[in-house]
Amino acid sequence: MITSKSGFNTLVRSSPYLMMALLVLPVIGGLIAVVLPAFGWFPVLGHTQFNINGFVDLWQTPGIGNMALLSVSTSFISTLLAFVITILILASYFTSPWLGYIQRLLGPILVIPHAAAAIAIGFLITPSGMFSRLVSPWLSGWDTPPDWLFPHDAFGLSIILGLTLKELPFLLLMALGVLAQPELGHTLRAQHRVALSLGYCPMTAFFKVVLPSLYPFLRLPILAVLAYASASVEIPLILGPNSPPTLAVAIMQWFHDVDLSLRIKASAGAIVQIALTLMLLLSWWLAEKLIKKFCQSMLVNGKREYAGAIIQNITHLITVMMLTVIGLALLGMVLWSFAGFWAYPDLLPKTFVTQHWQSALQQMHTPLLDTLLIGGCATGLAIVLTLLTLEAEQHTNKTVSRLSSVIIYLPLLIPSIAFLFGLVWVLEQINSYHTFINVVLAHLLFVLPYVFLSLASSFRRLDPRFSYVAASLGASQAKIFWQIKLPMLLAPIFIAAALGLAISFSQYLPTLLAGGGRINTITTEAVSLANGASRRTSAVYALVQMLLPALGFLLAWALPKMLLTHRE
Amino acid sequence: MQKHEQISAANSNTSSLVIEQLTIQRQQQVLLSLNETIAGGDILTIMGPSGSGKSTLLNWLTGMLPKGFSAKGNLYLNGQSITDTASHMRRIGLLYQDPLLFPHLTVSGNISFAMPASAKTQRQADISQALSQVGLAGLEHRSPQSLSGGQQARVALLRVLLSQPKAILLDEPFSKLDSQLRQETRQLVFEQIRQHKLPAIMVTHDQSDADAAQGKIISLF
Amino acid sequence: MQLDKQIFPSTICNIMKHIVAATALGISVYACLWISVAYSQPHKLAAWELIETRGVNQDVYFHAWGGDPQINRYIQWVAEQVKQQYQITLHHVKLTDTGEAVSRVLAEKSANNDNNGQVDLVWINGENFAAMAKHQLLTPNWVAQLPNFALTDPDNNPAMTRDFGVPTQGMEAPWGKAALTFYYDSLLTQTPPQTLQQLNIWSKQYPGRFSYPKPPDFLAMSFLKYALITLNDSQPETIKNRLYQQADAQSQALLLPALWQYLDDLHPYLWRKGQHFMSSGLALRRLMGDGELTLAFTFSATEVPAAIARFDLPDSTRSYRMRDGSLSNIHFIAIPYNAAHTDSAKLVVNFLLSPKAQAKKQQANVWGDTSVIALSQLPAAQQMWFEPPAQSHPSANVTNQDISPALSEPHPSWTKVIATQWLQRYGVMR
Repeated sequence: MITSKSGFNTLVRSSPYLMMALLVLPVIGGLIAVVLPAFGWFPVLGHTQFNINGFVDLWQTPGIGNMALLSVSTSFISTLLAFVITILILASYFTSPWLGYIQRLLGPILVIPHAAAAIAIGFLITPSGMFSRLVSPWLSGWDTPPDWLFPHDAFGLSIILGLTLKELPFLLLMALGVLAQPELGHTLRAQHRVALSLGYCPMTAFFKVVLPSLYPFLRLPILAVLAYASASVEIPLILGPNSPPTLAVAIMQWFHDVDLSLRIKASAGAIVQIALTLMLLLSWWLAEKLIKKFCQSMLVNGKREYAGAIIQNITHLITVMMLTVIGLALLGMVLWSFAGFWAYPDLLPKTFVTQHWQSALQQMHTPLLDTLLIGGCATGLAIVLTLLTLEAEQHTNKTVSRLSSVIIYLPLLIPSIAFLFGLVWVLEQINSYHTFINVVLAHLLFVLPYVFLSLASSFRRLDPRFSYVAASLGASQAKIFWQIKLPMLLAPIFIAAALGLAISFSQYLPTLLAGGGRINTITTEAVSLANGASRRTSAVYALVQMLLPALGFLLAWALPKMLLTHRE
Repeated sequence: MQKHEQISAANSNTSSLVIEQLTIQRQQQVLLSLNETIAGGDILTIMGPSGSGKSTLLNWLTGMLPKGFSAKGNLYLNGQSITDTASHMRRIGLLYQDPLLFPHLTVSGNISFAMPASAKTQRQADISQALSQVGLAGLEHRSPQSLSGGQQARVALLRVLLSQPKAILLDEPFSKLDSQLRQETRQLVFEQIRQHKLPAIMVTHDQSDADAAQGKIISLF
Repeated sequence: MQLDKQIFPSTICNIMKHIVAATALGISVYACLWISVAYSQPHKLAAWELIETRGVNQDVYFHAWGGDPQINRYIQWVAEQVKQQYQITLHHVKLTDTGEAVSRVLAEKSANNDNNGQVDLVWINGENFAAMAKHQLLTPNWVAQLPNFALTDPDNNPAMTRDFGVPTQGMEAPWGKAALTFYYDSLLTQTPPQTLQQLNIWSKQYPGRFSYPKPPDFLAMSFLKYALITLNDSQPETIKNRLYQQADAQSQALLLPALWQYLDDLHPYLWRKGQHFMSSGLALRRLMGDGELTLAFTFSATEVPAAIARFDLPDSTRSYRMRDGSLSNIHFIAIPYNAAHTDSAKLVVNFLLSPKAQAKKQQANVWGDTSVIALSQLPAAQQMWFEPPAQSHPSANVTNQDISPALSEPHPSWTKVIATQWLQRYGVMR
């Protein structure tokens, strides 16, 4: 489209560059500020010679191999499990209304911050937890909790459980999002019907016809999940073993250690963490290629039915178990937040009180306000930048390049533990007094990709003929943007805003580090209390943490409806 | 092709699709009623404006009636009731207005996908022969997206036929083709249906399609 | 005449000059004398008044561990008080680990931010203090300026100016005192262990019902130091005294084996068979509440009745001190060298040391942290503030309190030595 040189158009044209800069510079700056100390350059301690002592130290750390192995195995297995279950659910319920119900049940889990989820799952599976209470003492004979090493088991099974339950809704909703795209979704469903008419059982039809077309859309979300899981801190910290912990947790502890020389080892660890994550991403990609090669001939071998019925039943079982776990975990949180004394093995607290909510709410307003302000600013910025960048796409008539789309996901693919510590140092250099701005910028790194992801498809799908018609009627680009595109995109914008808010609400490390601890959000409070002594206070904070984003999505769902009915 | 003709010929005596006392309702309202027998090689044409229940009928025939609809009546294929048979067990082939070729498979992959499991080399030979019969010789390893609209429609037809269906449903099969191509493709499809002696139902809103089918025409309103 | 006329004025001028000079000298000598006489008290007060005028109406960022809602509430109360008195807005920066504040100040120093730091106050002791002092990250010699510091009677209480045996050099003001206190569920065990050796026997009777956190957690180190001191109690004085000096290879060889031997014996009978140790000391209390543990310990005895009141611990919980000694230490407040609001920070610390704030802090239902004020320094009316309330939960009454000897903290270098070797021995499960 040929556009004139107006102020709006200049703004639009420059916004992709601004967006890229806001995403790339902090990550690169943060990485440099970690690479230098990793190789021995740390002037504060008087180290100005480059060497590899940090890596030698790291190598000599007891259990370093276990740490790396634990990080790699838990993230790979949990991502694989989440992916397989996602596919099984899609395959089993592809033509059933249950897909919609499961989506509605799992949707809220997506917005539960990792820390809150870990707290909830921890209570469920701990020896004195809900599961144990359900069978005690009538079945198990336990009057006191059994002395089992779970959670916190050395194999990381509890981490895998936590990560899988948290990643699964994300992948499933991503897949359903793809299927909800009108054209693609329609074609895939029609192709599925064709396969059925050719005698394929629904499960086989899904695997042979729908999955190969669906997977390319899921690849990036899966890789993001894998990268996140390999370096996540909250779930391994709350559910994982500590002798030794995962590498990411160990790195965080070294960065925070009193012994400042450990920073060098921590920086070296961060480099190793990046290498591990890249290796994982590469392995996934290779596995994908191998499976594709191996299965290509199976696609056309004409076999219509494998063990469809058995797989279907297994999927039913998994789905029911998963929903039970999630339901019980949430119920447990609610019970704890109102619990008087709750002795083992009682299934319910002896008394219910509101004092935990009262005393927590008294202390909560400042963090609550900060949470909302930061979330609002970061999300608002992200939406404006995303809309302008997408608008620029249409002005120049080409979608963002492949490199740019990778850059957009950079903060999701590079372990945040690796660059956040460096980023804080960089922010220190530039602007150490306005911590609020620093926190908003740090949140923007993680909010922007999700907002872009959520908004891009709707924006690109918008029928260009509306703009052509408007332009032929003499409307300027700015007018078309404000009066045609934005109103038509109202619902997706609200959804993207709710997603952005949810992502911002759940940020722990970025808030802690960029805010220098001066800015407390509900999430930082929840994590610092999670390690604390009171399950009841933790439960209140975790529930508030869950309620906030849920409220956001409720508004995003209700507001456009209200605005539209108002118009009618 | 020879092999399939033999199979079809063996079935030809009993080959029929019977719709017995069908009533489809939507929220207590009767959408359509039908009582028809289609012999092998015959094409029943259903005409009517959109919303008249054409696609609902097809959905019932394929066992994919959506929520909110209810149906009474029976469906017999070659004398066997398939009223409650699962979609994929009915062996009723479907041809849509979109070819709906699978983009991740080649032309030969798409057809091979439809064929019953058998030796790979035999299947490849059958596919090559079938392709050359419809003027697509040598396109086995092309991706479907690289074909023209008419070529795609022919591959979709071969895919249905080589899956050895016992009946065939045509859902506005030619509406996306331009008039020259439309005529050619239509001729090819009808020829093949008659050759295979398959009972067929075609849904269309185009009078020339209906005329070319040379069978009974039912109009829904 | 003319000459005389000329000379006369110049003579007068000279005389006048001498007089002026002498007067100036006199005044300055007098001033010096006055200053030297007045220096001890009135000048100090004048300096404090200056701090009071400059310190009002500013923000103060207090970096303090925020894992305990009770302590957080107390700091919130302090914030309300200093707002009223000085219009100071006190922000509690809640740390999960005090090391976070240390790293922040260090990052600022590396960024050459030498006078506008983000940390105004930090709650600190032991290892963290030693680290910050070593890297010169703290403001020195300010504590004596605080009028309320005198209430701790530092001349007769050397503990007020020593942090884990290291002289504080005015870098940090004492805030509270704590001693290692054990607590148990009296429904599940009637005879909790009274000594370290009994603890070993008790654990074998009640396997899986006791644990300690994982080093380098503060509470974990306290338990290990208690064990180290107690296990070496029968050693000759010269060897025992090396616990209070820099740890070296020889002293480690003399003192540590007893500890490892004891732990090797104890671990199989701990919670999770000693294969997992909680990362945070606070988790002990949660595990007591869950019924997974029967015996645990804490550094603030009054958290026990407070937790019972919040239903976090069973009503049958009781607390006591070990007969063979209780590790005791003092925790402090420090001002980083680059704090942006030093004067306001001093005003806050002076308030924290006031009888009002200290008495409030000592109340069991507020925090229950023992006061650092020497009661002898207070008028009788104020001494009354520190009396415990008549009615309280039985667990507020810590048994053995009078007969359990106070064990001083070893030299801070031992903390790292113990933690490192513990992690090498038990940190990686095979």
